[in-house]
Amino acid sequence: MLTDLLFRLRALFRAKAVDRELDEELRFHLERQILKYLDSGLTRDQAERRVRMEFGGLAQVKEECRDARGINLLETFLRDLCYGLRTLRQSPGFTSVAMVTLALGIGATTAIFSVVYAVLLRPLPYKDPGALVVLNETTPKVGLVSVSYPNFLDWRAQSHAFTQMAIVHNDEFNLAGIDQPEDVSGCAVSPNFLAMLGVRPLLGRDFDASEEKPGTRPVVLLSYHLWQSHFGGDHNAIGRSITLNGRAFTIIGVLPAHYVSMEKTDVIEPIGVWATNNPEASDRGERGDTVVIGRLAAGTTFSQARAEMQSIAARLAQTYPAANDQFGVALQPIRDAFAGNLRPAILVLFGAVVIVLLIACGNVANLFLMRSTSRAKEIAVRLTMGAGRGRIVSQMLVESFLLAFSGGVLGLALAAGGIQGIVRLIPSDTQAASNLSLNGVVLLFAAGLVILSAFVFGLSPALHSAKADVQSELKESGRSVTLTRDQNRWRGILVMAEISLALVLLIGAGLMMKSLYRLVAVDPGFQPDHVLTMELGLRTAQYEKPAAILNFWQQVLERVRPLPGVEAAALGSGVPLADEHSRTDITIEGMALPKPGSFPHPDVHIVSPGYVRTLGVPLLRGRAFMDADNESAPLVAIINAMLAERFFHGQNPIGRRIMFGRFSANVAPKWRTIVGVAADTKMYGLSNPARFEVYVPVRQSVASHMNLLVKSRNDPAALTSAIRIVIASIDKDQPVYGITTMSQLERDSVSTQRTTLILLALFSTLALLLAAIGVYGVISYSVAQRTHEIGIRMALGAGSREVLRMVIAQGARIAAAGILIGMVASLGLMRLLANQLFSVSATDPPTFTVVAAVLAFTALLACYIPARRTVRVDPMIALRHE
Amino acid sequence: MKENIDLPQGTLDLLILRTLALGPQHGWGISERVQQISSDVLRIQQGSLYPAVHRLERRGWIKAHWGTSQNNRRAKYYELTKKGHKHLEAEQDIWKKLTAAVAQVLGTA
Repeated sequence: MLTDLLFRLRALFRAKAVDRELDEELRFHLERQILKYLDSGLTRDQAERRVRMEFGGLAQVKEECRDARGINLLETFLRDLCYGLRTLRQSPGFTSVAMVTLALGIGATTAIFSVVYAVLLRPLPYKDPGALVVLNETTPKVGLVSVSYPNFLDWRAQSHAFTQMAIVHNDEFNLAGIDQPEDVSGCAVSPNFLAMLGVRPLLGRDFDASEEKPGTRPVVLLSYHLWQSHFGGDHNAIGRSITLNGRAFTIIGVLPAHYVSMEKTDVIEPIGVWATNNPEASDRGERGDTVVIGRLAAGTTFSQARAEMQSIAARLAQTYPAANDQFGVALQPIRDAFAGNLRPAILVLFGAVVIVLLIACGNVANLFLMRSTSRAKEIAVRLTMGAGRGRIVSQMLVESFLLAFSGGVLGLALAAGGIQGIVRLIPSDTQAASNLSLNGVVLLFAAGLVILSAFVFGLSPALHSAKADVQSELKESGRSVTLTRDQNRWRGILVMAEISLALVLLIGAGLMMKSLYRLVAVDPGFQPDHVLTMELGLRTAQYEKPAAILNFWQQVLERVRPLPGVEAAALGSGVPLADEHSRTDITIEGMALPKPGSFPHPDVHIVSPGYVRTLGVPLLRGRAFMDADNESAPLVAIINAMLAERFFHGQNPIGRRIMFGRFSANVAPKWRTIVGVAADTKMYGLSNPARFEVYVPVRQSVASHMNLLVKSRNDPAALTSAIRIVIASIDKDQPVYGITTMSQLERDSVSTQRTTLILLALFSTLALLLAAIGVYGVISYSVAQRTHEIGIRMALGAGSREVLRMVIAQGARIAAAGILIGMVASLGLMRLLANQLFSVSATDPPTFTVVAAVLAFTALLACYIPARRTVRVDPMIALRHE
Repeated sequence: MKENIDLPQGTLDLLILRTLALGPQHGWGISERVQQISSDVLRIQQGSLYPAVHRLERRGWIKAHWGTSQNNRRAKYYELTKKGHKHLEAEQDIWKKLTAAVAQVLGTA
C-alpha cells in the first residue's frame, strides 16, 4: 500500500521526468524493433512502417501507461479543474447567475442549520449528557409541574435506575451592598448536582455532601459572568462574602465560563441553605419552582427508568393522597428540556430551506442543460478525438463542483449575515442565541451541502452531455444546436418540480401567516396599551413581618400614583403572559367534595385595589377591590368568568363563598365572599385556553413578590426612572427588575411564531422568485428555439394572439402540473405544521386556493414576458433567424 | 506467418514475471523472450506490454533501473523483487492447477 502511494506521488510530482523516461523507454523499444526488421532484410522504410503498424497509437500507449502508473486520477482532476475555471470565466453571465442562486440556497440552509445545531444537536457541556434525564411531576390539571422536596427525597431513595439524582430549586435574590441593588437569578441545588453533570468549579471548591442538611453555613458559587462583572475576575474573591437577600454568603467558588443551565444562573447555593427554617422543605404539597435531574445507571434504558419512576410516583400518590393524588412523573432527555418548544419550529424552518436549496439546484441544473446545448459540439469533437464518456462526465462534474464551491463560499458570507439577523429575531435570553455561530460543524455541513448540490444539479446535465450523439451533432455543422426533445422534457420536469416545491413552501407560509393573524387577534382579557410593568421582590429580613410588607406596598402606590403622567397604578402577583403564576386548590361552599386531586385549581392573583382598572380587565359583575378590603374586613374574592360559569352555572355567584385549600371538617374554614366576576385573562400565552382564576386583596393575603403595574397617559417607558427613584426613596437596597410594557410582553408571547413566520415568508418568497426564474428560463429558451416556426406561423396568417396563447399554454401546462403535485404534497406535508398552527386547519381551503392562484399568476407572468417579445418580432426577421 | 494465440486475461502478468525470473531485462527483451520461448506462438502486443510492466512496477513486484543494452544504448531494465518472486510462485501454482483441471475436464469430455 505504502509503496503504491509513494509510486503514485512520484508519478504526480515528478510527472515531467516520468514522462521523459516513458518516452525514452518506448523509443528504445521502437528502435530495437526496427533494428530487428532491418536485420531480417527489410529496408528502413518498410521496417519503420511495420513497427508503427504493430505498435498502434503511441499516444494511446503512453496514456495507458500513465493510467497504469496511477498518475491520471489526480492529474486529470487538476487539468479538469483548470479547464473548468477557464470555461466558467468565459461565461460570466451564466456563472454569476448560477453562483448567486446557489449562494442563496446554501446560505439560507447553512444559517438555519446553525440554529438546528445550536438548539438541537450541539453537545451539552456535561459529562455523558445522553444519560442525563430531567424529571418533573405531572398533574392532569396543569401538565408538567415542579417537584416537591419530600417527593424528590423519596424518588432518590427508592429509584435504582439512576446512579445519581439532584434537585434544582430556581430562585431569585436581591444582591445588595453595591452601587445599585439588583436582582440576580440563581438556584439551590443538591450538593452532588455539579459533580453529576461533570462540571468542576473553575476556582474554589464544589459543595460537599454535608451541605444538604438544613442549618448549613450560607455559601455560594458565582457564575463566571457575575465574578467578572462584580469582582473583576479577582482570584481573591474566594472566601469573601456577598450580600444576598440581606444575608452574608461566603463565596466558595466560581463556575467555569462555559457553564450552562436551563435557566439563567448567577449564583448557586446548596439546597441545605434553602431548606434552613423553610417550611416548604418539608411540605410535600408545596411545589415551588424546581426540577430534578438524574443520571441513568449504565445499562438502564430511558423507558426502564420511566417505568420505575412511574411506579414510585403511583406508590407515593397512594401513600400521600393529600399532596400527591393524581400526581405522576414525566421524564425527558436533558436535550429536549433545553430545546423546549423550539424544536418543531426549527424543524419546519429547516425543511423550508432545504426546499429552497432544492429549487436553487433545479434552476442551476436548468442553466447547465441550456449551456450544454451550446457546448454540444465541443463535446462531440472531444468524443471523436477519443475522450472517454467517463472523462466528459467527470469534467462536467468538476465544473459543477467548482460552481457549487464558489456558490458555497458566497453562501457562507450570506449565512454569516443571516445568523446576525436571526440572533436579533430570537429572544436574547435563550441559550440558542449565544450559541449561534459559523462553527466547525456548521462549516462541515456547508461543505457537505456544496458536494451534495454539485451532484444534484450537475449529474443529470453531465450524463446528458455524454450521451450526445456524435454523428448528428457534427453533421449539424453551421446550424445552431438545439436541445433534444429529451432534454426539453427533462427541463420541463425540473421546472414543474420547482413549482410544486415552491407551492408547498408558500402554503406553509400562508398558513403560518393566517395563524399568527388569528393569534394576535385573540383577546388577551386585558388592555395592554400604555401599561408599564416591573417586578419587586421583598426578600430581606426587614420584610419578615406582614405589616412591613404591606407598608412597603402602600408607600409604593401612594408615591407612584401622583407622578405626572400616571393614570393608574396597582400591584399584582401574577401578571398575564409574564410566565409567573401561583396556583392552589379551592373549595366552593356547598360543592360535592371531590377526591383530593380533583379540586378546582385556579391561578391566584394577589392584587392591590385598582388592579382590574389599571390592567383593563373587564369586570363583568359586582365590584372591584377597595381600600376597605383590608385585614380587619370580611375576606373577599373576585373570580373569573370561567370559574363562575363552571361552578355557578349561570347563577349569580356574588355573595357565594369559596375558601383556599380543601375543605376539611377538622379545620375551621376561612370562607371568602365573592364580590365580583372578572373576564378571563390569558395567563399562559395567547394560544392557550383560559384557566380558572381567583383574585384576592393583598391586605388579606400578603405577598412579598409583586408586579407594579402603571398605566400612563404617554409613553410608559418614560416613567421608568421616576419610578426607580420612588422605590429607592422607600428602600435604597430594593432592586427593581423585569421592567417591560404589557404590549411588549404580548409581542414576546408570540415571538417564536412571528420569527418562524418572518423566516418562512422570506424563504417562500425566495422560492417563488426562483421558480418564476425557472419558468422564465424554460419558456424563453423554447421560444427562442421556435422563432423560425413562429415566423412561419405568423407569415401564414396566425395572429399574435394565437401565438401568444400557444406559448403561454406551454408554460401553463407545466405550471398546472406543478401546482397540482404541490397541492397533493401539501395536503400530506402540512400535517407536520399542524401543531404550529392556531385555529387554522392544516388543509385550510382558502389558503390553498389563494396561494395556488398567486403561484399560477406568477408562473403565467413569467411565460408572458418572453412570449410577448416573440410576437413583436417581424415575421421576416423570424424567418431569416437561422 | 504462424498463427498467434490471444493471451487469456491475466496471463500477461504471469509471462512477464516468469521472463524476468530468468534475469533483468528491458521491455523489448521481454517480448522477444516470450516469443522465442513459446516458439512464436505467444506474441505480446506492445500496446499492452508497457502498461502491464508499469502496473507491475507500481505493485512492487518488479523494479526498474536504467542500464546499457548490448548495442550500447541506454535502456530501462526490469528485475523481479522479492515480493515479485513470491507472487510469481503463488501464481504459477494456481496456473498449474488451473490448466491441469481444465485439461482434465477437456480430456474427459
